[in-house]
Amino acid sequence: MSMRDEFPLPDTDWEPAREFWAGAARHELVIPRCDACGAWCWYPRTKCRQCGDTAFTWASVSGRGRLFSWTVVRHPFLPQFSEMVPYATGLVALEEEAAVRLATRLVDCDVDALAFDQPVEVVFRDLSFPGIGRTVAAPFFRPV
Amino acid sequence: MREVDWGFAHELEDIAGQVAICGVGEADHTSASGRTAVEVAGQAIERALADAGLAPADVDGVMHVPSFADAFDAAAFRDYFGTSHDMWESDRGGGMVWAGTALHDAAQALQDGKATCIVNSFAVAWATQRGSMVGGPGQSHAQELFKQNLEVPFGWFPQPVYFATIARRHMHEYGTTQAQLGAVAVTLRRHANLTPSVVMRDRPLSLYAFMASPTFADPFRKEDCCLISAGAGAYVMTTPARARDLRTTPVEVAGVGLGSSTTGTHWAQQRKFCSTPQVFAAPGGLAMAGIKPADVDVLACYDPFTIHSVMQVEDMGFCPKGDGGPFAEAGSLAFDSGVLPYNTHGGLLSHAYVLGIAHVVEVVRQLRGECGERQVPNAEIGVYGGYTGPQASTLVLRRG
Repeated sequence: MSMRDEFPLPDTDWEPAREFWAGAARHELVIPRCDACGAWCWYPRTKCRQCGDTAFTWASVSGRGRLFSWTVVRHPFLPQFSEMVPYATGLVALEEEAAVRLATRLVDCDVDALAFDQPVEVVFRDLSFPGIGRTVAAPFFRPV
Repeated sequence: MREVDWGFAHELEDIAGQVAICGVGEADHTSASGRTAVEVAGQAIERALADAGLAPADVDGVMHVPSFADAFDAAAFRDYFGTSHDMWESDRGGGMVWAGTALHDAAQALQDGKATCIVNSFAVAWATQRGSMVGGPGQSHAQELFKQNLEVPFGWFPQPVYFATIARRHMHEYGTTQAQLGAVAVTLRRHANLTPSVVMRDRPLSLYAFMASPTFADPFRKEDCCLISAGAGAYVMTTPARARDLRTTPVEVAGVGLGSSTTGTHWAQQRKFCSTPQVFAAPGGLAMAGIKPADVDVLACYDPFTIHSVMQVEDMGFCPKGDGGPFAEAGSLAFDSGVLPYNTHGGLLSHAYVLGIAHVVEVVRQLRGECGERQVPNAEIGVYGGYTGPQASTLVLRRG
């Protein structure tokens, strides 16, 4: 099986996360929220994890959170990342709901000086990979 | 099914004492060899049948896993061994979690008269296919669309990266250290050095050398990670009564447990980030066998990274949650520790990357007393902990 031509860029038309990428293009961080009980549900799913309802609205969040955990990648496991190493990638727990953890890259920081649960905030940057003409705006995070 | 927090235990029918392993075999474990997965599996099955003293025509059941290429199914069996007989076939076999649960399905097939002698095998030729993620462990994860669209673009990929993130959080929550992870790697390497025909047989590893090597995804070093190799394992199952008439010491299944997380391979969203579904699998498996963790003489767990050994030893109840690091550092996992002999063949880290089926083979050999230099004295009860990420299994084996 072959991968999409633009891998590892996201497929911004992929339905479950289309709103997420559309929000990122507006520099807005949006997460699906259950219409019935208000629970934030991430990753996007067809049924609310908390109440089982199936209606969601993509709603804005503050973009603030805490660094849940991370790793500093020093070896490019994918060739498309070879010019980025070393880079810090990990999970940010959102201020609105700590159970929502966004996979992201940490930017504007000393990758060797990050700390658990330190406050971070979203910053929108373009995902860009060698050999791929298109770029995609995406939520990165930086220490506050 | 019982919904418990972030996962659940599957309710499995009691099959204690209803199925036995009567033959085990491994193919040659190698780096890139040009062999296909079917050829490698065939070699392991040949050896398992020779071990049992059975002929290919005696086998009337085949278990395999369809999600990997070139599964050794009934057609492959007939083709490889030149037979034309009817066979019961199940796609609920293979390695990982299924190397443990296949015995539960086999027990039911034996009971229902669908088969009398069943072989389960698992093979990979990934070392041969390694170039640019064709067929390897990275590719299967890259094709998962949530990962592909919400994790990979940020470089939170592949397995060493997200399991390093889990390991780091484990270090934060419980005080686990890199040297404790290193103790797992060093112990398993020592076991591999005592095991014939394994990938790391002649490559010693000291804790000093481990700590001196660079991290490539903090806190992981190369030696925290499993090998990529080509190889296979197989075991032959029949009724305990028939097994007793065969040439080897029978090893009976005493219990099987299965647990699932509700977040699947999306570890980013797993509520208990530093745990495995062994939390849900082990209690049922041990209860079916009527044993406690302290009764286990030898343990083998699916161990893609050092942290998985630490987490599963905790989650299966062999030490309190969070104490897996100090437990390993104290030497408790060594085959001659008298505490919890663990992955006595070297595991995925140092034996070979055949996804758990060789772990079951090793437990069987330990219970038969065939392990030579690395033999655990008088081992009677052995446990295999299977793992895929979304699921874990606990298989309890007892010398017959």
